[in-house]
Amino acid sequence: MNILGASSITGSALDAEKIRVDITSQNIANANTTKGIDGKAYQRKIVAFESILDAANGNGLQGVRVSEIFADQSKGELINNPQHPHADNEGNVQMPNVNMAFEMVDMMTATRSYEANLAVVRNARQLANQALSIGR
Amino acid sequence: MEMVASLFNSDNYTAVKKMMDVAALRHAAIASNIANVSTPGYKRVDLGRTFEQELIKTIDGRDASKIAALDPLLETDSLTPSTRADGNNVQLDSELLKLTTNTMNFDALSQFASGSLKQLRTAITGRPA
Repeated sequence: MNILGASSITGSALDAEKIRVDITSQNIANANTTKGIDGKAYQRKIVAFESILDAANGNGLQGVRVSEIFADQSKGELINNPQHPHADNEGNVQMPNVNMAFEMVDMMTATRSYEANLAVVRNARQLANQALSIGR
Repeated sequence: MEMVASLFNSDNYTAVKKMMDVAALRHAAIASNIANVSTPGYKRVDLGRTFEQELIKTIDGRDASKIAALDPLLETDSLTPSTRADGNNVQLDSELLKLTTNTMNFDALSQFASGSLKQLRTAITGRPA
C-alpha cells in the first residue's frame, strides 16, 4: 500500500498548474506592454506539459511537469497612434498578441485542475487516516 | 503459534487486506490521471479490466493463500476514446467520481478490518472493547 507515493504525483501536478496560472497572470499583466525587455511588443507565453514517469512508484504511474515555456509568435494588432512614444515611422504601434478572453479561460481551466488535484490530496489523507485507525 | 497466526490469516481478513491494497493502487492511478489532465497525448491508467472479476472469483473460492497471491497491475487504457484534439482521454468529472467512490470503498473496508479485529479482542478478553 503506497498512498504517499501517489502524493508526489499530485504534488507535481499542483506545481505545474501553479506555473500555468503564473504565466497566465504574466500574460494578462502585459496585455498592453508595447516595449518588452527585448525592445519589441510583449509576446504571450504558452506552457507545455509533459508526463514524467515516477520511477520510485513503478507501475507506470506518471507525474507531470512543465516541459517548456515558449512565446506565441503570432502578430498582435497594429494600431495607428502617432503620438505614442513606441510608434514606428508610419505612426503605427505594434500591440502585444495577448487575447484577454483566451487568457481568462486558460486561467479558469488551470484553477479547476488545481482544485481537482487538491481533492485528490484530501482523499489521500482520508485513506491514510482510515488505515491508521484500523483496530481502534 | 500456529493457532495465533491462523487468527490473522482467515480468508475474510486476507481478502480485506488485498482489497485495501487494490483501493490504494487505484487511488494512485486516479492521482496520476488527474495530474495529467492537461498533458497532450496522455492516456489514462487504471487497474486491469479483468482484475475485478478475478478477485471476486478468488474470494468465492475462500482460499486465503490464493487471495494473498493476487497481484493487481495497472494498465494503460487506450480503449476509452479521446474527446479532445490533443489525444488525452482523461475525463476530469468521471475521475473525481471514481476518486470519491474509491475513498468510500476504502473507508468501508477499513471499518470491516477494525470490526474483525474488535471481534477477536472481544473473544480474547471476554468483554466488549
